[in-house]
Amino acid sequence: MVVKWVLHWQPSAGAQVTSQTLVDLFRSIESMNGVRTGRWQITAAQHRPFTRDQAMAIDCAKELLGVAFSEFASKHYFVLRAERMVVEADSSIQAIMEKLQVYRNRLSMVFEGFQYQLGDFQLKAGRAVLSQAENLRGIVLEFAQVEYSPVSSIEKTRQMMQEFVDLWQEAISAQSMSGRISLLEPNFAEYALSDTYTWQHTALQYIFLFAYFLSQSQRA
Amino acid sequence: MECVVQGIIEAQHVEALDVLLQGLCEGQREAVKTHEICLKSTVASELHLLCDLSKRPHIWTVKHIGGAMRGTGAEQLPALVRNIVESKMSNNALRFFYAVGYKMDYELLRDGFAYRFQRAFPITVTVTSVCRLPKQHSIDEATPVTPNIQLVEVTAPATADNFSDVVPAISSFAEHLSPLVNLSKPGSFAGIVSTASTAAASLLSRSDRLEHRV
Repeated sequence: MVVKWVLHWQPSAGAQVTSQTLVDLFRSIESMNGVRTGRWQITAAQHRPFTRDQAMAIDCAKELLGVAFSEFASKHYFVLRAERMVVEADSSIQAIMEKLQVYRNRLSMVFEGFQYQLGDFQLKAGRAVLSQAENLRGIVLEFAQVEYSPVSSIEKTRQMMQEFVDLWQEAISAQSMSGRISLLEPNFAEYALSDTYTWQHTALQYIFLFAYFLSQSQRA
Repeated sequence: MECVVQGIIEAQHVEALDVLLQGLCEGQREAVKTHEICLKSTVASELHLLCDLSKRPHIWTVKHIGGAMRGTGAEQLPALVRNIVESKMSNNALRFFYAVGYKMDYELLRDGFAYRFQRAFPITVTVTSVCRLPKQHSIDEATPVTPNIQLVEVTAPATADNFSDVVPAISSFAEHLSPLVNLSKPGSFAGIVSTASTAAASLLSRSDRLEHRV
């Protein structure tokens, strides 16, 4: 699987993330001759243990995070941050967890937007919103080098990926946008993930972003 | 959902059953070596975590077995019909379920073989020796719980719309195996076939004669 970097829009001090920011980012991609190829959607959810009385309480992880990808709908991913664990399962795991009634969904966030082909790269750009609400929580940007000898090693692709980010940042600066694109890279090794990139790496990146956007909105 | 019948067979007749199943099945015999861990929680229903040791890399599956169908109609069915949900998982599945509050209740190893039949509905016949593990996860030291007896299970996936057709299909298939094994609903023990030795001898001698001709 090709390496993906999941970035977010970091507004400058005092600036806000708005729908216009996203429109401007779409323009910056199109200014680099990016061709829109479709839509994408990713859903992340935070679950907490069901509240029970003391006698019935069980010793379990206080937070369970889940993520599902529209482009890989047959699988579902769970992340337990305190336990440093990423789990991959068939999507039927959701039906099982529902039957177990150990956890309840506290809130969900939808990442959605447009996908672009830009030379050897595939880009996704979109917004992050809490489901049941339209407030923009953040802007997410994902890209991967899919053509011309794509590589699965995170370290081997680092320089090339950084060069692409720098190029993109130049296109953004040319549009006088007040902010920058920023990478929130998890420590994959802490989660027992190797240098060879997988969907579990992608799941972890989106969970980190989900948690980051939640913490930002709580601070605001 | 799935439909299930099961029975027991003496280990000495398993070879004859294998011959019989080979004759019925156009497909391949598959090895079965499954490490099964039963997980329990004080507040939630139990789960079965299965690790298929016959494949590399090992495949982990979690299974939630729901309640059996109830009512007068269900009681009259010759097979058990129950809800079941399965999901394959990454190899940290056990650590995940421990983290969400589950504990291991017991574990065992199922060692044997299986045949898959594609008739009107897909049917799987599994013949296994159920083995205990003397120490936690000690697969290599597993010993049969009943050395002279093996478990035969016949299962078929079903839905709410078609289980009434799947049950007779399983039941009819079970008839083919009746010279060697009595198959019935789990929990309704039907015992060993008293004439199994005669049937086994006949099957094996026919099989020998066929091999010699070839």
